[in-house]
Order: sequence, then structure tokens, then C-alpha cells
Amino acid sequence: MTFPLLPAGTIDGMKENDAVTVRGLRKSYDGRVVVDGLDLDVGSGEVVGLIGANGAGKTTAVECIQGLRRPDSGTLRVLGLDPTTQADRLRPVLGSQLQDSALPDRLRVGEAIDLFSTARARDGGELIEQFGLHGRLRSAFSSLSGGERQRLFLVLALLNQPQLVILDELTQGLDPAARRDVWSAVATLRDAGTTVLLVTHELDEAEALCTRVVAMRAGRVLDSGRPADLIDRHGRRATIRFGLDDTAPADLIPQLRAVTGVDTVEVAGRQVTVRGDRRMIAYVGAALVQMRCVPADLGVEIPNLEGALLGLLDGAATSPSPQHQMIRSAA
Amino acid sequence: MSSALARLVRAELKLMTRDPLVLTFVFVFPVVTMLIIGGSFGTTPDPAFGGANPSHWYVASYLTVVIAATGLIMMPVHLASYRERGVLRRFAAAGFPRWSFAIAQLVVGLITIAVASVLLLAVAAPVYGIPTLNGAGRVLAAFFLGAVTFVAIGVLLGSVLRSARSAQAVGLILFFPSFLLGAGGPPPHVMGAVLRNVASVLPLTLVTNAVRKPWLALGSATGSLVVVGVLAVVCTALAARRSVL
Repeated sequence: MTFPLLPAGTIDGMKENDAVTVRGLRKSYDGRVVVDGLDLDVGSGEVVGLIGANGAGKTTAVECIQGLRRPDSGTLRVLGLDPTTQADRLRPVLGSQLQDSALPDRLRVGEAIDLFSTARARDGGELIEQFGLHGRLRSAFSSLSGGERQRLFLVLALLNQPQLVILDELTQGLDPAARRDVWSAVATLRDAGTTVLLVTHELDEAEALCTRVVAMRAGRVLDSGRPADLIDRHGRRATIRFGLDDTAPADLIPQLRAVTGVDTVEVAGRQVTVRGDRRMIAYVGAALVQMRCVPADLGVEIPNLEGALLGLLDGAATSPSPQHQMIRSAA
Repeated sequence: MSSALARLVRAELKLMTRDPLVLTFVFVFPVVTMLIIGGSFGTTPDPAFGGANPSHWYVASYLTVVIAATGLIMMPVHLASYRERGVLRRFAAAGFPRWSFAIAQLVVGLITIAVASVLLLAVAAPVYGIPTLNGAGRVLAAFFLGAVTFVAIGVLLGSVLRSARSAQAVGLILFFPSFLLGAGGPPPHVMGAVLRNVASVLPLTLVTNAVRKPWLALGSATGSLVVVGVLAVVCTALAARRSVL
């Protein structure tokens, strides 16, 4: 997809099919800098996650991108338009779900569809069906559960066939089942090639849904890339655990300590914990096989996105996180 | 498919009919109090009422109670609630034109006033009768300008007050003195000098005078009509500036 109003090369590094290009965005409130020189690109068809702790500046950044706030400085191009001066043209082609917003309490679901349908609107009934709200058409907004409200916001965000969908803290306050429902809806968008900018502080959400993630802290971008690449860069640690049995060779522990990538080997009773760089997983496995010691209960813990980035986003030193993904050996 | 303004007006009118505060203060309160007070002073022309039939005096006066209830209670609470809960931001983000919400509120406010006024007259007709309409042009102009003024005041209040609760509190504080001194309370002739002076400068008193005097052939109230016209322009301009999405 191309955006005809986009003058190629207008902004440094901007590609022709970028849906969003932000350079040097800065915004402060009462002297407090909230977004500090943000650079961001969202390509057409990408699902980009803007992640960070509360107060990282994510919401302010997307509000500037939507033209809801005027930046102090910086250059923005969204779908070929400048949101600070062309918001009236931009907003109709954006689909957005805002953090902390609502519909009138007594507005019914069907009436909300009518209210938000423009000339570009697709069949609202089809979306209502797709997002499981067909039984709630005559229900007032105030009577919907948290998950139903978020699904309705998704329906409204998609109703007018937007070229870019902005979803801000879509699953905040939802129970796990409702959260999964909403994830599934966003995954459907991703699979259909819709361009989505997803703002979240839930890293598991970003990992599950986003093709690329931009990590923010204190209004600045810390790093960005595919979730797997970020895990590779920031979550290099791994832990292997297994139990010793009577057949284990006597020199097993000293031999493991000498394996490439291993930092520590701890023995507590019959339980062995090996920690080190992720490269060690293969070497430790090979060493165990070579020593004819193949524990049936061997488990490997590697960080997920949350484990990899939590320390980084909180401002602490990068360290192994308690949030790990357990891979059980098939032995 | 219809325009953003038409969609907003349609939705807001539906919501208005479901709002207990609107139904109570705009539709029920003026009718009930008009029935009570309109029957309290009889139907014999009375010098305290400028020589008019007291029941007719109140029938004419209570049309402006509808205007005040809409502008001082319904509109501020409605708008402040929308702002507080992020509904306005949602409208803005959805691409509703910047002026559409303000214009929709003006249209919905005027329609509400018109419907509630018809209801009031429909109830008054079989009970007290509708007073003969003198100076219809002036009366309608005053009624329209008064309605625009108070809807604009309501939009303005709703845009500066931060929460629905504070809007309700301020609205009620403004409404009841205006109601008692400027439209639905005792006639000015029986008020003390201080109260009469206070009442004479209230916007609702000006609107009521501009509607009632020509209607009951008690005077032209040109001064009141001109001031109401100026108020309508000023308040609308201020409200428009404050209420763009």
C-alpha cells in the first residue's frame, strides 16, 4: 500500500510505504518532559508494539500521532498527513481505541455502530458477528462487561476500514479469558495485514501479537526489533535444572563447570542448577549425553520478552528475570 | 449514510429520552410546579400580576423554566460527564468534525426545549387555558433567543466544569434562584426592593420578561429582548470557542 500524499524523502529515513514516521517528537506538560526526542517508524502491514512502564510516554506519543495533542517539536507523518495540521483529514482514516475513554452509558451497541459509521464504513453486522457481540446489539454500553466493551471498541476502530489502527492499553483491567478474546481479535487483524500500532505495558501481549516492538522509557526509545531479536539481545541468560540419580558419574559437576557458556553450577541435595549464557544449553546437553547421563526431569528456562526486557524498561540493570518460559525435556 | 452532525443529533436525542435527570428537570418539574403554582392564585386578573390572570401569567412564565432547566441542569451535566469519561476524546479520535459536537448540542438543546414546551402547553391547556398570544413575533423571537442563550450557557458550563457532580451542583445552585426569582416564583410586584433588584438582572428574568410581557399584552419588553439577543450572541460565541472537539 502506498500513501499518495507522502512526499518521498521528506523525512530522514522515511520509506514510501511507512504508515507512521516520527522524528524527534518532544512533548512536555508543565515543564515535565514526557516524550523526549522519539523516533518511530511503522511500516504498512506491520503490528508494532509500543511498550514501556506506566509514564514511559507511550500514550502521549500516540495521541500526538493521532493529532489529539500538539507536540512541542518534532516531525510527524501519518498516512502521508501531518497530524498537527491535518488532523481533520487524518482521523477519519484512523481507527483508534483510546486508553481511559468510554461511550455514553445509555448508548446501545447497535446505536454505537450507527453513530460511528461514516461513508467508508463496512458492514457493522459482520464485525459484530466476528467479535461475538451479535447477542448484545440492544444492550446499553453500561451493561457490557469489560471484555465486551473492549471488543466493541475494536469493532468501532475497524468499522470505517481504517488504513491504520491504534490500540492503547486494549486489555487493561480484563480478566484472562477476556484478554485472550481480545488477543485473538488483534491476531485476526494482524493475519489480515492490517497496520496496527499497539500500545501496552503488558509484554506478553506484545510478544504474542506484534511483529515488531519498540521499547520506551522516560519518553525515549531504548531498543526496537522483532520480539525474538529483543529476547536475543536482552535475554541471553538461561537456566538448566535436573536431578541427579545414582548412575551419574562422580565428576559430573566439575565437568559441567568447564562447559562453554556455563557460569555457575549449584547442587542442592540431588538437584542441580546450571546457569549461564544461552549458548550453554547445547553444550551442556552434549556434555550430559557424552557422560551417559540423561536426566528424565531436565528442564530449560529461557527468558520470554518480559523476562528479557523487564529490567531494561524499569531502569534497572538487565538481569535474569523470574519470568521465564519453561521448556521441558522430552527425555 | 448520514453526516456526522445528523448522526450525533440522532444519537443524542435518543440518549436524552433515556436520561432520568432530563426527564425529571426538563419535562416533569416545570409541568408539576406550573400546575401547583398556577392554581395557587386563582384566575381573576390581579394587579400583583400586572393585571393579568395569574394562571396565565405562570403558563407564559413556565416556558422559560423549561429553557432554564435545559441550559442550567441538562446541558452542563451531560457535557461534563462526557468530558470526564473521555467520550468527547473518543468522538474527536473517531474523526467527528471539530464543530459537530457543539452544533449537535445546540440542536438537541433547542429540540428538547421545543418538545418540553409543547408538553407544558398541552398540560396547561385543559387546566388553565392557553393565554391569547399577543405579539407573536416578539414572543417567538424572545423564546428562541432565550433558548439559544441558555443552551450556550449550558455548553459553556459543561466545558469548564471538570466533573458531572460539580456541574450538577453548580447547575442546581444557578437554577433554583433563577427559577424562583426570574420565572416560577412570586411576581416582582410582591418582592422586596432588594430581591426585585437582584431578580431584574438575572438572565432568566430578562428572557421571561421578553416572552411574558408581549404575550400577555403587558408591554413590549424591547429592552429585555435586545439584552437577550446580545446574550445569545456572546454566550454562543464563548461556548463555540470552548467546545470544539
